[in-house]
Amino acid sequence: MMHITEEEMIEQVYGEGGKAGAVERHLEACRACAEAFAELKRDLAEVDRVQAPARDAHYGDRVWAAIADTLPVYSVREKRRWWSPGGRAGFWLTALSYAAGCALLVSSAFYAGRMWEQRQRPHVAAVQQAPAAPQPKQPIVVVVLDDHLDRSERFLVQLKHADLDNSALVSPMRDEARSLLAANRVCRKNTAQDSDPELKTALDHLDRLLAEAVNAPGGLNATSIVKLQDEMNADGLLLEVRVLRARISNREAAGKKPAKGGTI
Amino acid sequence: MIRMDRDDHAAIQAVLAGDKDAYGALVVRHSQTLFRLAYRITGNEADADDVVQEAFLRGYRKLEGFESRSNFGTWIYRIAVHCALDKVKHRKGDETNLAGRVGDANDPELDQLQVADRAAGPERLLLSGELASLQQVALHSLTATERTAFVLRHMEDCTTAEIGAALGIDPNAAKQAVFRAVQKLRRRLAPLKVTT
Repeated sequence: MMHITEEEMIEQVYGEGGKAGAVERHLEACRACAEAFAELKRDLAEVDRVQAPARDAHYGDRVWAAIADTLPVYSVREKRRWWSPGGRAGFWLTALSYAAGCALLVSSAFYAGRMWEQRQRPHVAAVQQAPAAPQPKQPIVVVVLDDHLDRSERFLVQLKHADLDNSALVSPMRDEARSLLAANRVCRKNTAQDSDPELKTALDHLDRLLAEAVNAPGGLNATSIVKLQDEMNADGLLLEVRVLRARISNREAAGKKPAKGGTI
Repeated sequence: MIRMDRDDHAAIQAVLAGDKDAYGALVVRHSQTLFRLAYRITGNEADADDVVQEAFLRGYRKLEGFESRSNFGTWIYRIAVHCALDKVKHRKGDETNLAGRVGDANDPELDQLQVADRAAGPERLLLSGELASLQQVALHSLTATERTAFVLRHMEDCTTAEIGAALGIDPNAAKQAVFRAVQKLRRRLAPLKVTT
């Protein structure tokens, strides 16, 4: 037989708990639990002796007199309307107005920023359009043109003194001629507007010679080399190239604007 | 009761409209109840008086938040419970010394106070005042929450749900606080009791 716990007894004393009927039946049947329950009730009854001292009828007046001077007066409230600051809707209206104000502030700042940016843009463009510092492009072109003329001179010298019996040398010459032909066309294109007729003439002459060397029937052999030397006047072209090289070098040394060239 | 509620609400409206003296009527009407509650929790008249004043002061400051559907008596009662709890917590150190007296079976003073628990003889009647004060001390050996829960349950006839609401705790926690309080009190008061 399960006895009831002290907690269940306490609940029974105060009339709480969902097992009041079962506990009561158990107390009727179990003498030990009934005695324990009676003792609990007696103990709790002893505590009832704690009584508050009596206060006379004027106690409330004295309390009021003690605190009255410390209390502020509530400001006269207007009848609360649904949109008034004190009303519930008023709270939301206030919050919404704050939110709207913040949104307006943010959008104004954004718009002002856009306007400022647009006003600043022409200045930026002007800066971008300002004359750029002279780029060292021209000297590079000169170097390339000078290099091209140098390479052409060496090719023409090699062509002049070619060992016609040594086919091992001929094949590299053809490759060099193909490379020079490509470079020469770039130089010709970039010097098309140049006022130096000798340079243009020399480059045209060189172009024809190189094209002939590259496209010679049967490849660059003894026959085609002889033909280039004789018919294409390779020696005369060699002289022209040397003169041009010397002139360009002198012009560069004198600081004059060199003839336009091109990059390869 | 309904009339009192109506009077309370009218007084509150008057106070909020700027009539401070209307609050005096509320103070007069509920002071006795609050004092009884405060005394049972604090066990001290001076502290109980302080609690009553503090409760009405707090109530006045919070009056704008008072829901018109509520009962002012219940509302100010809960405020008083919190004020009394605060008061007890502040002087907890002092109580610990007092509480040590009760439960000491070897204390000769307590030996003299032991009385039969059933016979209401003249000795018991003479000593009942002293015994009551020692029971009060035993009550104050509980924690503030346990004591308040016990007072509200045992002396103010509050339900567990009401105790939980007044203390701001779960009803089950309030029930456990009452259990612990009863167990501790019985243990502490056991030496004062002799069987016949």
